[in-house]
Amino acid sequence: MQSLRSRIVPALLATWMLSASGPNAQEPSAEKPNAQPERSESGNESSPSPQQEPRRGRRRAGARRRGLMVIEAGVVPPVSGPPIEDGVVVIRGERILAVGRQGELQLPPNTEVLQFPEGHVYPGLVDASTDAFTDAGLQKDGSLNGGSAISEALVWTGDRDDMLTEHGVTTAYINVRSSAQLRGQGAVVRPMRGGFELWEDREQAALQLRMAVGSGAQHPLQRQAQLTATGKLFDGLEEYRDGLEKFEKDLEKYNEEFEKYLDHHRKKSGKADKKPEEGEAKAAEEPKPSSESPPAEGRRRGRGPGGRRRPGGGGRDERAADPDTDRAAMEQTLATLLALLANEAEDAAGSQGSLRSSAPVARIEQDPAPQSKPPQGKPPQGKPPQGKESKDDKKKSDGPKRPKYPKKPRNDPQKDALAKVIDGAIPLRIEAHRVEELRAALRLQRDNDVPQIVLEQAYAAGLVADEIAEQGATVVLTNVMPNALGDAGDKRNPFAKFDLTKLPKQLEDAGVPFAIASGRARLASVLPLMGAAAVGGGISAEAALRAMTLTPAEILGVAEDTGSLTREKYADVLVTNGPLFASDTRVLLVLSKGRKEFERQ
Amino acid sequence: MQTSPTCTVAAALLAALATPALAQDLLVKAGRVVVAPGTTLENSALLVRDGKIAYVGKDIPAEARARARTVDLGDHTVSAGFVLAATTLDADADLGEGALAFTPDLRVAEAFDAWGKRLEHLAPHGVTSFGLTPSPRNVAGGIGILAKPGKDRGRVAEADAFVGFSLVRAARSQERDPTSLMGARAMLREAFDAARTGAEVGPDLAVLRQVMSGARRAVVYADTFAELNAALALGAQFNFAPVIIGGSEASKVVDKLAERSAGVVLGTMSPTNRIADLELPGKLAAAGVPFCFAGQPAQMRVSAALAVRHGLPREAAHAALTRTPATMLGRQAEVGSLRQGCSADFVVFDGDLLDLSARHVATWVDGVHVHGQSHSHSSKHSKASR
Repeated sequence: MQSLRSRIVPALLATWMLSASGPNAQEPSAEKPNAQPERSESGNESSPSPQQEPRRGRRRAGARRRGLMVIEAGVVPPVSGPPIEDGVVVIRGERILAVGRQGELQLPPNTEVLQFPEGHVYPGLVDASTDAFTDAGLQKDGSLNGGSAISEALVWTGDRDDMLTEHGVTTAYINVRSSAQLRGQGAVVRPMRGGFELWEDREQAALQLRMAVGSGAQHPLQRQAQLTATGKLFDGLEEYRDGLEKFEKDLEKYNEEFEKYLDHHRKKSGKADKKPEEGEAKAAEEPKPSSESPPAEGRRRGRGPGGRRRPGGGGRDERAADPDTDRAAMEQTLATLLALLANEAEDAAGSQGSLRSSAPVARIEQDPAPQSKPPQGKPPQGKPPQGKESKDDKKKSDGPKRPKYPKKPRNDPQKDALAKVIDGAIPLRIEAHRVEELRAALRLQRDNDVPQIVLEQAYAAGLVADEIAEQGATVVLTNVMPNALGDAGDKRNPFAKFDLTKLPKQLEDAGVPFAIASGRARLASVLPLMGAAAVGGGISAEAALRAMTLTPAEILGVAEDTGSLTREKYADVLVTNGPLFASDTRVLLVLSKGRKEFERQ
Repeated sequence: MQTSPTCTVAAALLAALATPALAQDLLVKAGRVVVAPGTTLENSALLVRDGKIAYVGKDIPAEARARARTVDLGDHTVSAGFVLAATTLDADADLGEGALAFTPDLRVAEAFDAWGKRLEHLAPHGVTSFGLTPSPRNVAGGIGILAKPGKDRGRVAEADAFVGFSLVRAARSQERDPTSLMGARAMLREAFDAARTGAEVGPDLAVLRQVMSGARRAVVYADTFAELNAALALGAQFNFAPVIIGGSEASKVVDKLAERSAGVVLGTMSPTNRIADLELPGKLAAAGVPFCFAGQPAQMRVSAALAVRHGLPREAAHAALTRTPATMLGRQAEVGSLRQGCSADFVVFDGDLLDLSARHVATWVDGVHVHGQSHSHSSKHSKASR
């Protein structure tokens, strides 16, 4: 089926790369297949070119050295644009270089060309909800809370449940299904043959909330009571954040005062040599930007123009400006200063100084009771310096008073996660089945100004689709199969009346963005059938494909890198021997970041 | 007692209305007519007369074509209706004798409720005929029937069809014999032996003799490896090819099933099944074992689509919904295909019914529209216009 051959075409790679004068070179949108040579008459002109600014820090050093890979196929639906007949996808390294029509792109010699004359080339599927790589025990653990991050507990066991790539899934969101109300934070992963990798910056991709009432409630009133309880989810968050902010401010003030205190004593003692002064200068310069930024940063962190945190791009800068890092530098400086000061007194003080400088920086965030533990960058209140200082104090009672280290509020990972939700850094994913649960979820969003919510297992979403659309919520659909919730005639089953294959159409009509997901890892092989069932329920095949690629990528916040066959995105490619939604279609080839993860022999 | 004139008039009117509808031929035109698995006629038609297929495609005489009432299904695809090979329609209690395990001469037809609620769940899912079996609770339950759903009531198409045996756990009871699989096997073996030698006579043994002579099909409920082996051994010893119902461990005896020409009636397949279960139909097809999809009527098509997704060829999947189950019940001349002389039982889809993207448009039984759109093809048009 797939023949691998090399082509000799006169144009060299270099010329090709430089010919930026094609009509498509002005194509501005990244969401359209950038190389659209079908518009032009002459193939020679229309070769794709790096007309767009290469994204900063995106391309790995080795990528350029890796050769080109070209996939030719009968049909190429790039999702970001209309399907291309006799299409070609050019991949360089781990990114897509061009998408266009065969014969209109000039390929350099010695290019690896994979040909699938009858095949279809799709973007790798994005499964917006799966339980792959997770442990059953963990999924049942009701003691998890919003602070738990499932990314820390993912395992690869190699059984059927972890075989996502062979069904074409190249990106997946790992759901937390624990019975806790705030279930934890799910992760975006890239499944691979023999493992997976966490999506950088999306390790904590969403906070999971269970709003579906359990078996405890028998009738709507009881359910209402349970839902009212979830309305208190964000209670106390403001106070917590105020507390943290106050601490940051206090810390800043403390640093300033301590600086004055040190200055005063250095002048008094008159023994300070060159070195401490250098350190002093450093200390004076460096903490300032950080001392201004942490509180503000903590609030606004990652709030991009769209209220969504942008992966990549700003990621690095953000990390550079991370308050932790700056605080670390400041601590180091302080510690050095202290060590030098203490030098003149006892040697015991010296040893403490070195101990402080090696104290792990992260502890400043995690230590629940800083008062009880000295190695925090706060001045030792213990014995050795005290003797000296008390002497000083007696001598110079007019000098500044030694400041007190502010009390740090108790750290609460769950509140931190909720804060991220309120800031729009991650969405709140709410499992809600019934109409009243869905309305409660929407109310929760309204009342607390939650920027993004994603509804899961929203069986009754068709009945409140307009309300969902109004609030800009998105829906991740699972079980999109005929009679998935039971026989429609079964009166004992309250959900049997919901035909989930019709739900995509209802959401589409209301304008709600939706993804079609497997929900369970072992259903990955059935994902295309779910898409087909959605088509049977009334949406177009293009819409169903989008619901398994670009829309979930957007919901997961990774649409800049995957979800469509678009230039500069990762080369996540699924090649099948026929239309994806035909039952007898087989997966022929799966590429993830340009690497072959599955190939049918 | 006096008959009111109104009643008489009403009855006459009813008769007048009902008779012509049946008498007039019906020409069903469609974009594709799947006469049998693998045989598809493009832009063709069926001529239905008295509830049966009178002519197919080019064979339709021009004169008959002109006189018939025409139902134009547009671009849709017409296929034979699904045959549900084995079901009890959740009426196990009425289809099995509690105190006796060996009742091969009891008749399911006598307990058939033509107005049963469960009958309403067949046509909406494309099922146009079904084998109603005795309950699997009895080792030899009785004589099953071929029945059909209808517009408002069902009917028995063949009252004296197959005989049902059972070796599954449900057939063993601590209340009566047999209490074990050994006992169940012995019970059947001894009965067949007695029937063969002619040492005993009676209506029950007469049924067994029909099985041995090939005059009557035997269906056997069996799931585990041991039960399947028992069913196959019984067939080998007494010279009949059993139709296995259930067969959840059939993958372990595929070769033996092929050797004994036994068929398998598979239960509902769910997407969450083990991968080996989902691949079983493909394996059976490759080994040449006849099999069909049964279980929940609502899931028959999904089962077939899942099997196709996991390796079963389309044609085999289509056969497993229509022709194979008809053959298993020995009724292939009446149901399961759209050949001349078969019942005009058909389903209408707006695509290949094995793709879940295709929508079920309508179901017709005996030339009568019982579910869905009667003769509209608007949905296809709306789909195309999008």
